[in-house]
Amino acid sequence: MSGDEIEEVDEAEGRRSIGEILREQVVAAGRALIFPAVALAIALLVGVVVILITGNSVIEAYAALLRGGFGSRQALGRTISNATPLIFTGLAVAIPFRGGLFNIGGEGQLFIGAIAGVWIGLTMPGPGPLVAFVAIIVAGLAGWIWGAIPGLLKIWGAHEVITTIMLNFIGINLTFWLAKNPLSGEGAVPGTGFVPEGVRLTRLGGGLGAAHYGFVLGIVAAIVAYILIWRTTKGYELRTVGQAPGAARYAGMSVAANSFLAIALGGMFAGLGGGLESLGTFGKVSVPFISNLGFNGIGVALLGRNHPAGVVLGAIFFGGLAAGAQQMQFSTGVPLDLADVLLAIVLLFVTATKLVEYLLGRRARTFAAGTRLEKGLAG
Amino acid sequence: MLEMRGVTKAFGSTVANDSIDLELRKGEIHGLLGENGAGKSTLVKILYGLYKADEGEIYIDGEPAGITTPSDAVDRGIGMVHQHFMLVPTLSVAENVVLGAEPGQGPRLDIAAAERAVRDLSERYGLRVDPTANVGHLSVGVQQRVEVLKTLYRDARILVLDEPTAVLTPQETDELFTVLRGFVDEGLSIILITHKLGELLGVSDRITVIRDGKVVDTVVTSETDEAELARLMVGREVVLQVAKEDVEAGDVRMEASDLIVDGASGEAVSGVGLEIRSGEILGVAGVDGNGQVELAEALAGVRQPRSGRIELAGEDVTALDSAAMRARGLAYVPEDRGGKGLVGEFTLAENFVLKTYRRSMFSKIGWLLRNAIRAFARRRIDAFDVRPPNPQASAASLSGGNQQKVIVARELAGEPDVLIANQPTRGVDVGAIEFIHGQLLEQRERGAAILLISLELDEIRQLADRIAVMYDGRIVGEIDAADATDEQLGLWMAGRGGPDEDQPTGDDRVRS
Amino acid sequence: MDELTALLASTIRNATPLAFAALGGLFSERSGVINIGLEGMMLISAFAGVAGAQGSGSTVFGLLVALAVGLLFGLVHAVASITFEADQIISGIAINLLALGGTGLLMVLFFGSGGTSPRIEPFSRIDIPLLADIPIVGAIFSQSVLVYLLYALVPITWWVLYRSRFGLRLRAVGEVPEAVDTAGVNVFRLRYIGVGLSGMLAGLGGAFLSMSLLSAFTEGMTNGRGFIALAALIFGRWNPVGAFAAALLFGFAQAVVFRGGIGFTVPQEFIEMFPYLLVIVALVGFGGRAVPPAASGQPYRKE
Repeated sequence: MSGDEIEEVDEAEGRRSIGEILREQVVAAGRALIFPAVALAIALLVGVVVILITGNSVIEAYAALLRGGFGSRQALGRTISNATPLIFTGLAVAIPFRGGLFNIGGEGQLFIGAIAGVWIGLTMPGPGPLVAFVAIIVAGLAGWIWGAIPGLLKIWGAHEVITTIMLNFIGINLTFWLAKNPLSGEGAVPGTGFVPEGVRLTRLGGGLGAAHYGFVLGIVAAIVAYILIWRTTKGYELRTVGQAPGAARYAGMSVAANSFLAIALGGMFAGLGGGLESLGTFGKVSVPFISNLGFNGIGVALLGRNHPAGVVLGAIFFGGLAAGAQQMQFSTGVPLDLADVLLAIVLLFVTATKLVEYLLGRRARTFAAGTRLEKGLAG
Repeated sequence: MLEMRGVTKAFGSTVANDSIDLELRKGEIHGLLGENGAGKSTLVKILYGLYKADEGEIYIDGEPAGITTPSDAVDRGIGMVHQHFMLVPTLSVAENVVLGAEPGQGPRLDIAAAERAVRDLSERYGLRVDPTANVGHLSVGVQQRVEVLKTLYRDARILVLDEPTAVLTPQETDELFTVLRGFVDEGLSIILITHKLGELLGVSDRITVIRDGKVVDTVVTSETDEAELARLMVGREVVLQVAKEDVEAGDVRMEASDLIVDGASGEAVSGVGLEIRSGEILGVAGVDGNGQVELAEALAGVRQPRSGRIELAGEDVTALDSAAMRARGLAYVPEDRGGKGLVGEFTLAENFVLKTYRRSMFSKIGWLLRNAIRAFARRRIDAFDVRPPNPQASAASLSGGNQQKVIVARELAGEPDVLIANQPTRGVDVGAIEFIHGQLLEQRERGAAILLISLELDEIRQLADRIAVMYDGRIVGEIDAADATDEQLGLWMAGRGGPDEDQPTGDDRVRS
Repeated sequence: MDELTALLASTIRNATPLAFAALGGLFSERSGVINIGLEGMMLISAFAGVAGAQGSGSTVFGLLVALAVGLLFGLVHAVASITFEADQIISGIAINLLALGGTGLLMVLFFGSGGTSPRIEPFSRIDIPLLADIPIVGAIFSQSVLVYLLYALVPITWWVLYRSRFGLRLRAVGEVPEAVDTAGVNVFRLRYIGVGLSGMLAGLGGAFLSMSLLSAFTEGMTNGRGFIALAALIFGRWNPVGAFAAALLFGFAQAVVFRGGIGFTVPQEFIEMFPYLLVIVALVGFGGRAVPPAASGQPYRKE
C-alpha cells in the first residue's frame, strides 16, 4: 500500500498561449527594469553636474560616451572585449545569489582561473586548440575550487560575504606569487611568459579589434546558466534553497549541498572568465593584473537582476561605458574616471527599495525581487 | 483614563481598524478580544505610536494624547509588553530595562544605579528577576517579566499586554494574572489582548470584542459568559462541537518508539513513543516550544532523529528523508506556512511540486516538465477553490487562508495513508479553519491516520479521538478525548501530574 | 637593537591606518550596518587631506577636510543603506568604486593629471620626552601626532561602547533594533551616527596614509587596507581593544614585508595573505567563533 498515486494529468492542460507567455514576459521585464532605470537616471544626473564642473558640454560628452561605446565597429569591439569577462563575473554573482549566497569573491576566483589557464597554456604540449580547450576547462575547475572553499566554510558556519572577501586577497596574492615564481617569464615586466600563439583565443574579426570568441562563450554560458537555474530540477532545488531554506529542508532538499553547489558554480564561471582573459585578451598574467572585474561583476549582476539575460545586457552596458569613457576623455577632456563614478552611483541605488518606493509608491517594493538577499551576517 | 475614539487604519485596501472606540478606566483590567487578524494588534500599535492612525483621536485623562512615536507613548505613561519580546539577548536584564532612559551623569551610564533600580522594582512587585543575568539565558516566563519591568521602570500607568499567555503554561498564566491583579491594586490600568476568551473571564473587569476591525461590543465580565463572547467574537452562534462521525480505528499505520530528536539548542524530544491508527486523529496538545515541531519533523523525515525508530505500515523508515516518506504515503503540513510550507516568490505551480518534482510525471532526466506541473496545479487549485485560481500567481500574493489551502491541497493529493498536521489553522480566517477541519475529518473517515499538533486546546478537543500532551520533549499524558478534562490537560501541559511528579517547571526551561 | 626598534616603529606606523579604519568599522557594524566601504572612505579622505593641505597651505586644515569628506562618504553610505534601504554590502562596494573613480576624477581637476599629487608638509614626528629615549620601546613614543590620537581613541572607544548611554544603545541597535525603537530611541539616528563616525575614523586612517606615513596622494594608495581593517575588526571580535591588537598584528606583518623579512624568508605574497587567512580561521571557530552583531546587514523598516 503506498497511498501516493497522484492522478495523471494531461500536459496539454498546462500549456499556455504564446500571447499569455509574451504578456507575462513583457510585464516581468518592465518591472525588472524599474530599479536599474531609476539608478541610471540618478547616475546620469550626477554625471551632468560633473561634466559641467569640468567645463564641458554635457551633450558633447555624453555623445562621445555613446559613440565610444557603440558608435563604430571598433567601438563595439572594445565594448564586447570589455563585456566578455563581465558576463562571467556577473554570472559568478547571479547564480550563487539564486541559491541564497552573496559571492563577493569573483575577483579572487577570476585570478585563480586566469593563472590556472596560463599554467596549462604554458606547460601542456600538443596542438593549440586542444591546449586552449583544456586550459579553459582547467581555469573553470580552478575557479570552481576557489568558489568551493567558501562553500565549505559556510557549512562550518562562516558567512560567505566575509570569507569571499578574504579569499579575494588570498587568491590574488597566490596568483602573483605563481606568476612571479614558478611560472615567471623572461621579460622585463613581472609576470608569466606569453602562451604560444596557437593557444590564444581566436579573434572575432570583422573589424571588432581585440574582441575574441570568449564573448560567444559568454553568451553560451548565460544560456546554460538560464537552463540550469530555471528549467532543471537541480536549479529548482537551488532556487528553493535560496528563497526559503526552511521549505527546502521540508521538501527533503539538502541546504548545505545546494549552497555549496551554488557558490562553487559561481566560482567556476568567474574562473572561466579569468581563463578567457589571460588566454584570450592578454596571453599571460602580469603583475599587477587587470583589476576590479570581479567587483564590477557584482554591479553587472545586480543591474541584470541576477538573471542570465540581464547579466549579458548589464555586462554590455558596463563594457560600453568603459569603452565610451576613453572616447569621451579623448575628444572632450572629461576624465575617463567619470565612468567609474557613474557605475558607483548606479550600484549605490540599484537596490534602493525605499527610494523607488518614494518615487513610485508602495507597490514598487514587489519589483525588488531579484536584487536583494534579506539576511544578516550572523544568519 | 484612556479613550480611543474613531480610530481607523487601512493597509492598502484592507481596513484593519474601522472607527474603533475604546475606553479604559483607572484600575481596571480591560480585555481586548478578537480572532487572529481581527485588528487587535494594529489597534495597540497605534496606541503605542508604532503605526499612525488614518483617522481618530486618542485621549489620556481627557487630553489629546498626541502620540506619534513610542517615546511619546512612554512619556504619557503607556507601557507595552509585545507579543514578540523586544529584548536584546546579548545584554543584561538591567541594561535591557534601562535602555532608552539610562541613569547616569552626562554621557556616562551608571550601571550600578540601573541594577539597583531593577532590583528594587523587582522586589516591590514580586517579580523575582536577577538584574545582572544575561537575558539570552533566561526562560520565556522570566523574559516576559523583564518586559514588564521595562514598563514599570518607565513609570507606566497604563500597561498593554499583547497575547501574553501564548508562550506560557496554564500555571505560568495564573502567576502572571496574580501579578497583574497586584498592579491594579497599585493603581495601574491594564489592557489585555488575547484570542482566548476563557482566560479573560477569570481576570478581566470588562471586555471589548473586535471583529473584522470593528468594535462589536464592550461587556462587563461578570455579566457575560463564554458562549456570548464566542458569538460576539465570531459573529454567529458557534457550533463548539464539530460534527464528527464515528469511525472505527483500524490498523496501526505509523508507529514511533523511543524517539530522541535534537533541536536548535540541544535535545528537544526525549524519548517519545506513539502509534496512530487508520481512521483516527491523535491530537498532541502542549505549550509552544515543548518539542512539538521537532517531533513532527522527525516523523515526517525532515529532521533525522538521534535515536529511536519510526515505522510506516510496519516498515522501518527511520532513516528516510521527507521525499521518501511522501512516496510511502505520508503527508505533512508544517507549522510555518511562509517559511517551510511554501516558497513565497515561487508561482503556485512551482509550489505544488515541492516534494514531488522528481516524479516522472513532473520531470524527466532532470528536466522540469513545466506544462505538466502547471496542469497539476490547475487541477488542485480547482479542487480546493484556491483564490486567485491562477497557477502563475506568486504564493506570497495569496491570503493566509489560501496559502494554507495550497499546502493542504498539495499534501492531500494522492490520498495519503498518514497525515501529520502541525497547527494547520494557525493565523487563518474562520472560513479556512472550517474548511481545513472538514478536510481533516474527511481524511479520517476515508481511513487515514492523522497526527494533529495544535497549541489551541479547543481545536484538539473538537477533532481528536485520543489526546496526548507534550511537555519538555516528552509525552506526559495520554487520554481518550471523551474522558479528557481541561484541568487534567492543563496540569499535563504544565508538566505536573504526569508520570514524573518532580519534573522541572516552566520557569527553569532555558530557551535560546 | 636598532633593527628591533625600527621594526617596532614600522609596525606601529603600518598598524595605525588599519586601527583607525577598524575602529570606524566598529561604530558602523555595532549599529547594525555592515561597512565594506572602509577602503573607499580611506581613499577619498587620503586625497581630501592632501588637497586641503595643498589648497590652504595648512596640514591641520587638510586633516579637517579629510575628516569632513570621510563623514560625507559615511553619510552617503548611511543615506543609501539606512534611508533608502539599499543592500548594505552593495552600498559599501559602491562607495569603494565611487572613491576610486572620484579620486581619479578629482586628481585631474585639482592637480591637472592622475598618478601622484604634489608633496605636502606631513605631520611631523613628535618625541615624547624621556619615554622616547627608552631602548626599543621608545619607538612607541616617537610617532606622528595622529598615532598619539589613536592611542587615545582606543580606550575612549572602549569607554563609549561599554560605559556610556550611547554605547549601550549602539550595542542594542546592532542586535535588536526593534527593542531600541520601542524603548523610544530613534534607530535611524543611532545608525546615522554610527556610520558617520565610521566615515570620519576611516577618513583619519586615510589621512594618516597620505599626510603622515607618506606626504602625497597616489591613486589607489590604500591598496586593500580598508579590507585588512575589516579583517582586524572581525579578528578582534568587534571589540575596540581586540581590533587594535589585530591591527598591530597585521601591521607587524606588513612591517616585515617592507623591511625585507626577519632572518628567514617567506615570500611577500604569503605574508600579505596572513591577515585574511587569520580571519577565516577566526570565523570557523578557532578559539571561540567570531559572531557579528545579529542585526547587521538588514535594513530597519518601520511599518
